[in-house]
Amino acid sequence: MGEVFLKLENIKKSFGGVQALKGVDLEIRKGEILALAGQNGCGKSTLIKVISGVHEQTSGDYYLEGKKVEKLTPIDAIRAGVQVIYQDFAVFPNLTVAENIAMNNSLMTGTKVMNWKKARELAIEAMEQVGAHMDPDILVERLTVANKQMVAICRAIINDAKFLILDEPTTALTKKEVENLFKIIRRLKEKGIAIMIVNHKLDEIYEIADRLTIIRNGEYISSGDIKEYDRARFIHDITGRDIVESVYVPEKSDGTEILKVENISREGAFENVSFSLEKGDVLGITGLLGSGRGELGDALFGLAPATSGKITLNGKEIEIHNIEDAIKNKIAYVPEDRLTQGLFLDRSIQDNMVAASIGKYFHGGKLDHKKIAEDTTEWIGNLSVKIGKQTDAIRTLSGGNAQKVVIAKWLNTDPELIVLNGPTVGVDIGSKSEIFEILHKLAKDGVGVIVISDDLSELVQNCNKILVMRNGKAVAHIDEEISENELYKLFSEGGES
Amino acid sequence: MKQSKWKEILTSNQMFIVYIIVVLCIAISMKTPAFAEVSTIITLARALLVTLCFAICEMVVIISGGIDVSFPAIACASLYIPICVFKENDIDNVVLAFVFAAAIGLVIGIINAVLISLLQIPPLIATLGVSSITQGMLLTFFGTRQISRLPSTIAALNKVYLFTYQSKAGNNYSMTALILVPIILYIVIYIVLKYTMLGRGIYAIGGDANAARIAGFNVVRLQFIVYMFSGVMAGIAGMIYCVLNKAANPLNLMGSEMMIIAAVVVGGTRMSGGHGTVLGTILGVVLIGLIQNNLIMLGVPTYWQTFVVGAVIVVGTAITSLKELAVQKNQKV
Amino acid sequence: MKLLKKIDHNILSLLGMYAVVLIAMAILNPSTYYSTLNIKSWFYLFPEYGILTFGMMLCMISGGIDLSLVGIANLVGVVASYMMVNIGGGKECGMGMIIGAIIVGLIIGVLCGAFNGFLIGFLHIPPMLVTLCGLQLYTGIAMIVTTGPGITGVPQSYINIANGTIAGIPHTLPMFIIVTLVMSFLLKSTTYGQKVYFLGSNEVASKYSGINNFKVIMTTYMISGFLGAISGILTSSHYGSGKSNYNTSYTLLSLLIVVLGGVHPDGGKGKVIGVTLAIVLLQLISSAFSVLRIDTVITDLVYGLILIAVLVITNIAAKRATKVKTK
Repeated sequence: MGEVFLKLENIKKSFGGVQALKGVDLEIRKGEILALAGQNGCGKSTLIKVISGVHEQTSGDYYLEGKKVEKLTPIDAIRAGVQVIYQDFAVFPNLTVAENIAMNNSLMTGTKVMNWKKARELAIEAMEQVGAHMDPDILVERLTVANKQMVAICRAIINDAKFLILDEPTTALTKKEVENLFKIIRRLKEKGIAIMIVNHKLDEIYEIADRLTIIRNGEYISSGDIKEYDRARFIHDITGRDIVESVYVPEKSDGTEILKVENISREGAFENVSFSLEKGDVLGITGLLGSGRGELGDALFGLAPATSGKITLNGKEIEIHNIEDAIKNKIAYVPEDRLTQGLFLDRSIQDNMVAASIGKYFHGGKLDHKKIAEDTTEWIGNLSVKIGKQTDAIRTLSGGNAQKVVIAKWLNTDPELIVLNGPTVGVDIGSKSEIFEILHKLAKDGVGVIVISDDLSELVQNCNKILVMRNGKAVAHIDEEISENELYKLFSEGGES
Repeated sequence: MKQSKWKEILTSNQMFIVYIIVVLCIAISMKTPAFAEVSTIITLARALLVTLCFAICEMVVIISGGIDVSFPAIACASLYIPICVFKENDIDNVVLAFVFAAAIGLVIGIINAVLISLLQIPPLIATLGVSSITQGMLLTFFGTRQISRLPSTIAALNKVYLFTYQSKAGNNYSMTALILVPIILYIVIYIVLKYTMLGRGIYAIGGDANAARIAGFNVVRLQFIVYMFSGVMAGIAGMIYCVLNKAANPLNLMGSEMMIIAAVVVGGTRMSGGHGTVLGTILGVVLIGLIQNNLIMLGVPTYWQTFVVGAVIVVGTAITSLKELAVQKNQKV
Repeated sequence: MKLLKKIDHNILSLLGMYAVVLIAMAILNPSTYYSTLNIKSWFYLFPEYGILTFGMMLCMISGGIDLSLVGIANLVGVVASYMMVNIGGGKECGMGMIIGAIIVGLIIGVLCGAFNGFLIGFLHIPPMLVTLCGLQLYTGIAMIVTTGPGITGVPQSYINIANGTIAGIPHTLPMFIIVTLVMSFLLKSTTYGQKVYFLGSNEVASKYSGINNFKVIMTTYMISGFLGAISGILTSSHYGSGKSNYNTSYTLLSLLIVVLGGVHPDGGKGKVIGVTLAIVLLQLISSAFSVLRIDTVITDLVYGLILIAVLVITNIAAKRATKVKTK
């Protein structure tokens, strides 16, 4: 094993009041493959951004090849040989495949001219290494998501990278492409490049990694040779639990079926998915990114509707072609990305609270602002949202409290079904359990509740039914108690077709 | 494969403009046979010279993800101030005039860049404001009077010709040597945009500014270069306009920004940034120029011009946008 | 609390500017500036651009912009004049025809707005481009109708709309007040008004909250077109003729007023009271210029400077605010 390339000591990073990293250590040697594992929201992305110079740490030390780094810009990091393949790829949609691949290379060498012939050659060579087949002259905006990622991977490997970070690189790849990628990663490793893979697919980590570092909730948990970790320890360190404390058990159902979904499909997203929901049920839907879990939620809310299949809500067969249909049928949706999809950051808490139900306050020819204020006060009380004043901008709230407002926004529409996509991402533990308490109460009152999430411990504890998605198909319907570790196996077992 | 590529070329936006131009030219020639002569090219070249200069700079700005409506104001200031100063102090130096004009353009370009890039003011509003300030200062401090007697070396530039063509009717048409300015400009910009990292960086920041930052482009620097360059070019184009018109008028060019944007957009440049070609812009300018200058030969009254230009832009942008939507919808390879 | 402070801040600074102008004029030339005649002249002018400015304000709150307002106004003025002069018989035009011309004018304004809204909301063409094209297009149509010169010879009762008085008060003043009140009600007390703010502050979240963005955009630009039409009728009545290139400076002026009045160019923020204060303030300033016999060309310069200064100050203030927060 080579010498140490990068070393982080006690790295802390906070945004406003939120502490994303609470003291993380990391060490990586040349010619080594390190897996960085942890659940969603554990601080992996922040850590990557600190390493690549996008964010500066609040405190802690950063060493590159033994030398302490004081200030690092993204281009410094690239010059030092640190290459990141981000989850959103950061490719240029308006440029060709060849140019995207060759771009960083030209930037790094500091050349002033654009050599198209060389760019094409580099691109073709890189694509050959990965085993991708794309027209190098096509614009990237015309590529599929998987191929866009390929472009990003190609772009990173043609540079003289000394340290390559791959943020969940395999989620959108087929099995063949993953094998290909691993082949290249091993080749790069032999060349003495340090590689860090952020992943939570168990089997892939065992297949490729030499060492493992686990972080949880921004805290450093453990680090060691992959051989030191058996599956039990791995899962324990990731989830932080052996035993599941309390598990949600609905009151004995009277058998009223709230929602029945039969064989819904949407090409390229999910196919033939069926499930049902009785009064009192909280249904969890899980699966890896790209498994179709999020797309299922989008379909129920009409954002990207299902193209075939049958949906019955409270005994009535309904058709959902667009958002208006969903709203008409009293379906509510708490979207995945709270900041961009859920909140009007500059508007007041009160405004956010009534954004989906503003129409019902219009009577007698004008809006009833008094009633809006009263209702807001009531919801704030019911959901115990901690706020200053309800006319404050919602950006002043913490993640948990803001999420409660998003939920309240929809409860204010008297929904019959509420779908929550990743409801606890970036939410502190206290608010997390409060949010689920709210959901349990809703279920008891006869509202259909669906939680889409990849936080397995919360699903195990708070859902009495769980649907596991993989490659757009429902691969497991669980309606009895399940341990988190068992669920993790179902969830992560690489099994790509 | 080869066939589909041909099909792509023949149905591309640019070919579409070529078709329209060809049809328009044939129609005009049928109605006014004198149109189909070399002399037309000479007159058109003269008429479109300044617009060509403006349009290519506007294209670069739009590719970088911005917009600039201060060209006409910059041009007016850059042509009027030097002439005023020269007249006042009895200076007569054509080179100095152009340097002076370029310097004025540079200063205003820097102001634009500071407002847009550093202070993050929306480009349209920033350049609109700068345009009005520039215009106001010019008229306040230098007056509104047209100066028709230019210093002699500057006026002499108008009489430098590349070649002279004698039409069948016996009239002489001379091609101004100033046409070399846009020709060189277009060649240079073509090369810079296509074959230098600077040019590719301009496309990159227009395509995705954030990705560009991550990749290591200096976004602020690129934006400064873009606005400074277009300021300088607007200044030079202003002085050219002055030479061609044999007079310095501080107001004539005002209001031409609409035509410039129209030509660029019709040429296939996307307003959202990141897309645009030199060839497309040439075609756009020629099309808009034909409509403005020669539609009258078809028997269309002049008061229809504004509407026809407007209609052409609306159709042009609608087609571009629809294509864009189609690309977003039906993926993907 | 913070939000409240911010609003007060904007209105306070506007009131501060009022004080500066009024006091300066009280010192420099009170006899002319504060003469009844001069004060009365204010009320004839600001409603013309003020009403149009509310259209700009609405579009900007929704996250867009409407650069075609002047084009709409002139088209409406031209068409109305055309109807009265060429169909209604000019000076002898009957009341019915005048009302008909006004109604047709208002409908044209709404249609122009609908055209803008459709291109923006349905084809997703950037508002700036759409309305720039719109300006060209509507001005072009107006030119076709007039065949170049202005259409003169409108009946006296039409001219009276903008130039007449009731009990010594110009007609235009109550009209402006009504529009202001309606706009205030629309934004504050209707479902649509709230949706405009939601759309402007976050288009995606608005969609995810079940708001039909397309409908809101259509309504916004149609109202804007309607307001442009009213302004067009006032303008043509004021000049007694319809022409395709009246008041071209109003585009910049309305942008300036809207920004000065506290509307954020990125959308989602802005209040009728702020914009109203800014409208009147601009009248006071331009009147001060004319009383002091300052050349009109300076006005443009000053307007541009104010626009940029206000934006720079707001942006720097906003940057400072976020910096404090992240610390």
